[in-house]
Amino acid sequence: MNHRGFGRFWMGVGALLISVSAFAHHGRALIYDAKKEVTVKGTVTEFVWFNPHVQIGIDGMDDKGVRHHWLIEASSTGYLSQRGWTRKSLKAGETITITFNPGLNPGRNATLTGDLVKVVLPDGKELPK
Amino acid sequence: MTSNFRNHVLIGLIVLLTAVTLISGCSNKPAAPAAPQHPDLSGLWLGNRGNWSMTRGAKLGTEPDVPYAPWALERIKGVIAGTGGSADADFANTNDPSLKYADPLGFPRQYQHPLKFKIVQTDNSVYQLWEWNKAWREIPLNKQHTEDPDISWYGESVGKWEGDTLVVDSIGFKDATWMDGVGHPHSEELRVIERMQRVDPETLRIDFTFEDPIAYTHPWTSTLTAKLVHDGKMTETVTTMSDELHYRERFLNQKPTIPIRR
Repeated sequence: MNHRGFGRFWMGVGALLISVSAFAHHGRALIYDAKKEVTVKGTVTEFVWFNPHVQIGIDGMDDKGVRHHWLIEASSTGYLSQRGWTRKSLKAGETITITFNPGLNPGRNATLTGDLVKVVLPDGKELPK
Repeated sequence: MTSNFRNHVLIGLIVLLTAVTLISGCSNKPAAPAAPQHPDLSGLWLGNRGNWSMTRGAKLGTEPDVPYAPWALERIKGVIAGTGGSADADFANTNDPSLKYADPLGFPRQYQHPLKFKIVQTDNSVYQLWEWNKAWREIPLNKQHTEDPDISWYGESVGKWEGDTLVVDSIGFKDATWMDGVGHPHSEELRVIERMQRVDPETLRIDFTFEDPIAYTHPWTSTLTAKLVHDGKMTETVTTMSDELHYRERFLNQKPTIPIRR
């Protein structure tokens, strides 16, 4: 295999090994539990259209019926725009169902954190990560 | 003057004009050259991340097809990658300059960000506009590099057409940047050659050759493929140091080390 061919071989290997999220702003492996998904139906407390990551605050109950506040991060404003989001996609006070990978450590003020998987609006419309 | 004489004069003139026309038409004088028709690379493009081959899934420093020189191997000893391009990414403690200091991604790393870029093509220059952090570069066509180019985040680029391929030669890069999110280093001697081809109406292919005699023992290559975006628009997606520290404070409970915008 010549030099260029060898490079293409590794290019293919890399394509198989590197997931889409691998190219985001930061690595997630040490921050979120990617093997676990939590789904919460709750009330939006804030929707911050902000970089490097859009932020969603939500109040809701966990699967044991305990009330919590979570701070969820999504992708950048530019990336979410490509996927149909706008700065008005969510607003404080509305009820949504949100799925996320939970944070391994709490954020500021011991806030529970998460990495967005998807949002389902009351009308059933889905907003992808 | 008799009518017979007038007819002879008219016939003579017609013969003369016809001869002149024929002679001029048969001369060897070349016609003015038509302006060269180059492929149209313009449009809004989204890089196909699966084809971006600078992060090859291997651990930094061990890739068999990256010809590290001792300088580069020494330089990567302290690298703590923060993005997902590395299996060992440690975002909380990274020393990635674009994350730790909100430095520009620089070149060629700018291509690695998963947002769009636009190509604007004119007869004299090709312009490339990246959505991420509103970065841009001009590629003057058929020009030489300046004798002693400034050292800059995005370098100095010149381009020329070779058939259907735009060949871009870039030098003069600040060595503070990483070539990608994994942390491949480069010196100020880095030269990047890009061969850009629109391989079909929907696809742009860019073959890269990286030459850096200080960091790498011989040139190495990579490829990026981008797809045309038909209905997208360029957004403003800018991140500042304040934004970065604000995010880290909220999600990682890291206290900002400098005053930040609230």
